[in-house]
Amino acid sequence: MKLFKTKLDAATIVLIPACIGINYLGKLFASFLKLPLWLDSIGTCIGGCLGGPVIGAVCGAANNLIYGFTAGDNITLIYALTSLGIGLAAGIMARLGFMKTFPKALITACVAGFVAVLISTPLNVVFWGGTTGNVWGDAVFAATQAANMPVWLGSFLDEVVVDVPDKLITLLVVFFILKGLPKKLTALYEVNAEIESLD
Amino acid sequence: MKSISLYVDNHTWLTKVHPFTKLTYIAAAIAIPLIAGKLWLFGCCILVSLCALASGKVLKRAIPLIAFSFTILLTIFLIHGLFHQGNANVLFSIGPLRFYREGVLYACRIGLNILNMLLSFAILVLSTRPSELVEELEKKGFSRRFGYIINSVFQIIPQMMGTMSTITDAQRSRGMETEGSLLTRAKAFLPLISPVVMSSLINTRERAVALEVRGFGSKSKKTYLADRPAHKGDRAITVCLLLMIAAAIVWRVGTWLLSR
Repeated sequence: MKLFKTKLDAATIVLIPACIGINYLGKLFASFLKLPLWLDSIGTCIGGCLGGPVIGAVCGAANNLIYGFTAGDNITLIYALTSLGIGLAAGIMARLGFMKTFPKALITACVAGFVAVLISTPLNVVFWGGTTGNVWGDAVFAATQAANMPVWLGSFLDEVVVDVPDKLITLLVVFFILKGLPKKLTALYEVNAEIESLD
Repeated sequence: MKSISLYVDNHTWLTKVHPFTKLTYIAAAIAIPLIAGKLWLFGCCILVSLCALASGKVLKRAIPLIAFSFTILLTIFLIHGLFHQGNANVLFSIGPLRFYREGVLYACRIGLNILNMLLSFAILVLSTRPSELVEELEKKGFSRRFGYIINSVFQIIPQMMGTMSTITDAQRSRGMETEGSLLTRAKAFLPLISPVVMSSLINTRERAVALEVRGFGSKSKKTYLADRPAHKGDRAITVCLLLMIAAAIVWRVGTWLLSR
């Protein structure tokens, strides 16, 4: 099985806007329920798990670019790289079979979380001087700065505190949703599917 | 249905300017101060953006965009003013809190950069219809599949919001709590989001079939419905902006060579 093999037919093209919509809904619900997390990468992870790493990466990057250029939320533009990484990580892990059982899904969540942290930390340091805009994370950052720790370490911890729990919950939601999808839908995205004829 | 795009057609000159000109302006407004590295240039770019927004009659609608990032700017000022690494000289103090000159200056630089980016993007966002931007990109050879993806996002999201409010009402009428402690609110997340996500994923199948039936995968050349009248001055402004970026680069390199 090829890791990066991607089908680019109408089904996958339609999947991408749906996933971007799901990202938006996740963020909306998180603010509606006043949860202290972002939860804005559910769609990206679904895209990665169904369509593969390439579709996941496209979902993630397109998500941030579209909102940045049209909905006025241009801070997200900078984080297009992070989203791309999350989608790629989720897609690769799913192709390797790490979305099949619950404990394996937890490992995927940790991998996606750390990819997000690794990409976001330099961006945070460059653009925001290290803060993330999340209350809990910034409290950690302020504490590390008061203790005279280097900026990048503070920013790294800031991200870990926010991103890893965020991705854990995201991937759990994704896991339960994928389990509940009908076979006739998931069959559309099987890369190794073969068409058999009766005669 | 409420659209997520902030564009409103108010027939001012700003809506008639070509999207590419606005994109060039964004690139220039962000690049020039960063390349030249002077604080006052940020101020200049912010002023130009404000003037453009005001003459396009969208200044009022740009305020929520800036207010959104205001809390982040505030935390940057607090954290760097109080705890920045290079802090040495006290600028002023409020009670036991001492704000340092270096930290505040650093926070100023970041804050102005963000404000500058927000305002220059606001010009594009508030005065350009997304489908127009996509169509112009497609005319210049941008992939039609990606064009479809972008346009389709703007159709899908209002639909999903409709489904979302229906499902929220349905779950509440069954007695689900959506307010209260953090645990209660967290428990409400899955039953709210999974039906919307499921139904929208299942809908993709029908959408895909519908697209295929209408020849989405067809390789033949396609024509465009709308023809865009060229706005006078588009080319002149673009050339000016590009020259200014070049001038900033030359100035920076020149001063760097002289200082060696």
